[in-house]
Amino acid sequence: MQSRMNVEQEIRHYIVEDILFGDGQKLQKETSFQEHGIIDSVGFLDLITFIEGKYGISIKDDEIVPQNFDSLQKITRFVKWKLNEKSTP
Amino acid sequence: MDFHKDILRIDCKSEVKRICSFIQQQVRALRREGILIGLSGGVDSAVSAAICVKALGKDKVFGLILPEKESNPVSSEYATKQAKELDIETETIDITPTLEAFGTYQKRDKVIREVFPEYNDGYKSKITLPADLLSRDAYNFFTLRIDDGKGNIKSARLGKKTLNGIVAATDSKHRTRMMHLYYYAEMKKYLVCGTTNKTEIIQGFFVKYGDGGVDIEPLGHLYKTQVYQLAEYIGVINEIMERAPSPDTFSFQVSDEEFYFRIPYATLDLLLYAWEYNIPLKRVCETMNLTEEQVKRVTRDFAAKYNATKHLRQLPPTLE
Repeated sequence: MQSRMNVEQEIRHYIVEDILFGDGQKLQKETSFQEHGIIDSVGFLDLITFIEGKYGISIKDDEIVPQNFDSLQKITRFVKWKLNEKSTP
Repeated sequence: MDFHKDILRIDCKSEVKRICSFIQQQVRALRREGILIGLSGGVDSAVSAAICVKALGKDKVFGLILPEKESNPVSSEYATKQAKELDIETETIDITPTLEAFGTYQKRDKVIREVFPEYNDGYKSKITLPADLLSRDAYNFFTLRIDDGKGNIKSARLGKKTLNGIVAATDSKHRTRMMHLYYYAEMKKYLVCGTTNKTEIIQGFFVKYGDGGVDIEPLGHLYKTQVYQLAEYIGVINEIMERAPSPDTFSFQVSDEEFYFRIPYATLDLLLYAWEYNIPLKRVCETMNLTEEQVKRVTRDFAAKYNATKHLRQLPPTLE
């Protein structure tokens, strides 16, 4: 099982390097992506593809909502939940 | 700032007069001999053409009808009928061979087959955003929908690579039309009239150097619902008035709402106005009978689309 810290760091690293082109200054754990215009819709597509590939989870359309994806903290919580769901027999 | 349900009502008579003056000034300023317009069979080009005729006279307005094999067949029919009503000269050019030579269909279909390997010439396709933004929140991810021609529909969420591949190929349709418009405009020393309205400009619903590649935008200050008011006033043909606005670039028919805006124009335009003029949230909710969450959700979507499409509205940056 991956720790929350690992998930958060890995996702943060991906967002900063691959979506924000290395400029992660504004990206705090609770920063709202929508309010601050951090990730656009194409960026989300990238992020979802990354998460699905990295953690071997399948994200449904109705899960791609701000409640699950609007901050690093929310994404981490969502991915952890999906990983738990996956590991539960 | 005032805000009520009729805030977008316009005085059509004076608005037409104002746009006519604008067109006359621009044609004079650019020293052109007339104006050329691409007629799509939709309401924006119908209104633009009608106002151009009022501004310059029918002999100085030329209409180009540019269908391709995936256009809705009624588009050319309605465009031709509207042009006849206006008594303007037109030419119809099927741009399919140009698109085939460029590889528009081939490039797009190759990308679609990465998602649906069975996709072939008998299929239709479109891309859409999640429906009904007022009812539920969702990010703007695109879904590819295909129809095998027998009504069997499949859909899949697109990743960046496939989305970009489909959009890039589809946008070449608009850019091919732009190329044809400028060929004729330069031949005739005419000005190219754009047909993009304010709703589309603010939200980035046009193709840079495609339908956005024009000399003037006489409807660029009017929301879509205001264009409809002018259409009614001018007497645009019923067929165009009654058809659902569509980008008409996908073989599987899709409306503007389904493809991009996610809410009906009547609501969209009022909320865009409220967003543009910073109308207090409470006032917007009361006037439109919407919850704060609904308005905030739509406003976030506006901001996201506005920011993501800023580059479309800019000239290429240069060093000073």
